[in-house]
Amino acid sequence: MRLRIALALLPLALGLAAMIFLQQVLNPIPLLLIKIDFGLLALLTGLVLSAILLAVVLTRRANKRQREYGIARERIKHAEAQRRFLRRLDHELKNPLTGIRAALANLEGAGGTGSTPSAIPDIQHQVERLTRLTAGLRKLADLEEIPLEYTKVNLGELLEETVEAVRAHPSGNGRDLRLVVPSVPWPLPEITADRDLLSLAFFNLIENAMKYSGKQDTVEVRASEQARHVQVEIADTGPGIPPDEIPRLFEELYRGTNARGCEGSGLGLALVRRVVDRHEGTVTVRSRRDGGRGTVFAVTLPVTVQILKSIPTRLSKST
Amino acid sequence: MPPTIPKILLVDDEPSITEHLSAFLERAGYAVQCASNGKQALEAVAKNQPELVILDVLMPEMDGRAVLRTLRSEGNHTPVILLTQVGEAGERAMALEEGADDYLNKPFDPRELLARVRAVLRRAQGSPVALSSAWKITSAGLVLDRRARRAALAGNVLTLTPKALSLLEYMMTHPDELITRERLLDAVWGWDYPAGTRAVDTRIAELRRALKDEAEEPQFIETVTGEGYRFRAPVEGER
Repeated sequence: MRLRIALALLPLALGLAAMIFLQQVLNPIPLLLIKIDFGLLALLTGLVLSAILLAVVLTRRANKRQREYGIARERIKHAEAQRRFLRRLDHELKNPLTGIRAALANLEGAGGTGSTPSAIPDIQHQVERLTRLTAGLRKLADLEEIPLEYTKVNLGELLEETVEAVRAHPSGNGRDLRLVVPSVPWPLPEITADRDLLSLAFFNLIENAMKYSGKQDTVEVRASEQARHVQVEIADTGPGIPPDEIPRLFEELYRGTNARGCEGSGLGLALVRRVVDRHEGTVTVRSRRDGGRGTVFAVTLPVTVQILKSIPTRLSKST
Repeated sequence: MPPTIPKILLVDDEPSITEHLSAFLERAGYAVQCASNGKQALEAVAKNQPELVILDVLMPEMDGRAVLRTLRSEGNHTPVILLTQVGEAGERAMALEEGADDYLNKPFDPRELLARVRAVLRRAQGSPVALSSAWKITSAGLVLDRRARRAALAGNVLTLTPKALSLLEYMMTHPDELITRERLLDAVWGWDYPAGTRAVDTRIAELRRALKDEAEEPQFIETVTGEGYRFRAPVEGER
């Protein structure tokens, strides 16, 4: 850095030397007379050049510092996210394990007399919960690297199937769930996507909307076309999400205040985000807690995906 | 003469798993011997000649896949069920290609393991060439070349997505067996997700279109209403 500043000042020094040489050696000095001669010109040129070079050097240094600061901040953010994730994981594991230990203690105390009839089903229930958690974590890890299997996907058909699947699910029982897919004047374009993964993402979003709204609330799924993109909105008239929770919503194992008391892995939205990311799409959320209250998740996907390189032929075999 | 009790070798390095699983399998009527690493497993296979080996993948000394490779390269075709741990799709595909007869993702329901044990033992009795270690599987004009990852019907190569091909492979290596959608999801996708059974149906429909198979009068893949699918055509394996 010092060297660069010295180099930047070099034209000034050269200009000064040139002036002294031109004025001292070639001409006698006229006193109190300002005149533009070659000497002065050299000095001015040197001055301007030095100023420019100095400016360049200093802004570069400032940019570099800012970049380094940015990277450091990212690292800290990443480390914080990791700590948050571990804390949440710890919490998610603690509850079912405590339940299992309590049930086991009861079983042991009863000595097989059958006075704690709920102990075994309770243990089974908690074990299933842990199983779901590990399955979810594995999916998240898998999603980082599995090659997507791109095909032409008829989004309308896919949404219809997914909505049907949610209706058949306990959470969909007797609920007002609507699907709006445009057909006039033209239907939605087919998109290039991994059909199974998209269906997983939409299922999670629709099921969430059902789960976190009341029996009398409405859930609407609507698709639309927007200049080389398709957008799917999943809207509900539920209680809405507190604004301060929205930035955290897609984090792994994050459970908002609405989610307390609802059983879930806390991984559903994180999975949605990964799936959408891998399709080069976006997912956003807007929510209102009063007036026309409710929540809208909007997924935007490109009609064609650029990364054709990720079309797999076969998973690589390393053995 | 009393019916012989089938011998099972259970290999896992986690004592709590071998202890409880072996008790569970013994109650189901099998004679179970346990080993806690790959080396012990190979010795036990040579000494006791079990009818079936249940093999964990991640183990010290010698992992499950190395055991399986060693057995097969020595010409030993004892049926093997692999217990995979890393739920990566690549690992599952490799399990079948290296000659495992079936595989289950941990954590699994012991009853599911029992169902697989029964199915694998039943199949092992019937066929002269173990389908699991066959490179080429044929069934009435349908040829599946597992090494080339290609299927052909009456000499015409079929255009199939990788998933549909893996699905066909799993169905053809487990013929005449009722396979639930959940099991196909676990085996081919490696994921179980709520809308997943539809994903299976979609791929089966793709396969049927390619195989020109009618759902009402199927030659190959039969729908078992409310339960799953069955590959009904007779299957032959070639090494």
